[in-house]
Amino acid sequence: MTGSAPSAPRRLAAFAVPSEPGNERLALAKVAEVVTGRGLTAARLERLKTAVAEAAMNAIEHGNHNQVEVPVEVEVLQSGTEIVVGISDSGGAAADVSAEEPDLADKIEGRQSPRGWGLFLIRNMVDDMDVTTEGARHTVWLTMHTAAPTAEGAGK
Amino acid sequence: MKSACAATTRTVGTAAVIELSGDVDGSAAETLTTAYQSAVADGEARTIVLDFAAVDYINSTGIALIVSVLAKARAEGRLVAACGLSPHYREIFDITRLSDFIALFPDLDEVVSQLKGATA
Repeated sequence: MTGSAPSAPRRLAAFAVPSEPGNERLALAKVAEVVTGRGLTAARLERLKTAVAEAAMNAIEHGNHNQVEVPVEVEVLQSGTEIVVGISDSGGAAADVSAEEPDLADKIEGRQSPRGWGLFLIRNMVDDMDVTTEGARHTVWLTMHTAAPTAEGAGK
Repeated sequence: MKSACAATTRTVGTAAVIELSGDVDGSAAETLTTAYQSAVADGEARTIVLDFAAVDYINSTGIALIVSVLAKARAEGRLVAACGLSPHYREIFDITRLSDFIALFPDLDEVVSQLKGATA
């Protein structure tokens, strides 16, 4: 037997920020600090930072309804060639943001609200995105591969 | 860490340039609206140029504000151009298709040069 078993996820950091508009910047700065030097190119680090900020903003606004006393919890894990960031709020399934695909032409013509880019940006910035809900705990999981991405991954 | 959005406007030929700095997020709404109104106040501007060279951060709400400026300008028959975007935000302009509706330039000199060429 020469194959290597998949490595167990290692927690790089876990922290919380109060649910106050603007605190997504704290989350992205901390995540960037933790994952810098762990195999992401500068461009892919920028992508992860944008995804973290948008997910944290959704958690603050839609999950925790800007209640400062309810924290947004952030967990950073590394498993093999993957960095995974979990961003949790207390909004349960109701925290899921509308998945309407933004259409810029419709927005310009007033057929869609100019807003609604957050989830779209998250999906396009990371290699994989999952959402889990356990009771009130609603978590968005963002995955970035640290090894050279596949052709499919690079196209995202 | 967070820096408030600020904007200054000036005229370059038939273009009104809005130079932005700081963060383009939800808190930038009033700044951007006021800057746009100032830029088009004399009715002469045929092109609105958004200069992002001094912008540190743009989020989804900031994108929505840019969409609103674009919609307003187009409804008034004006073109919109942008310059000074970092490679990351240029990618976001591509992903959102903003770059299909907004001409992108590396810097303000390029925009000015292009505008001069168009009017020569």
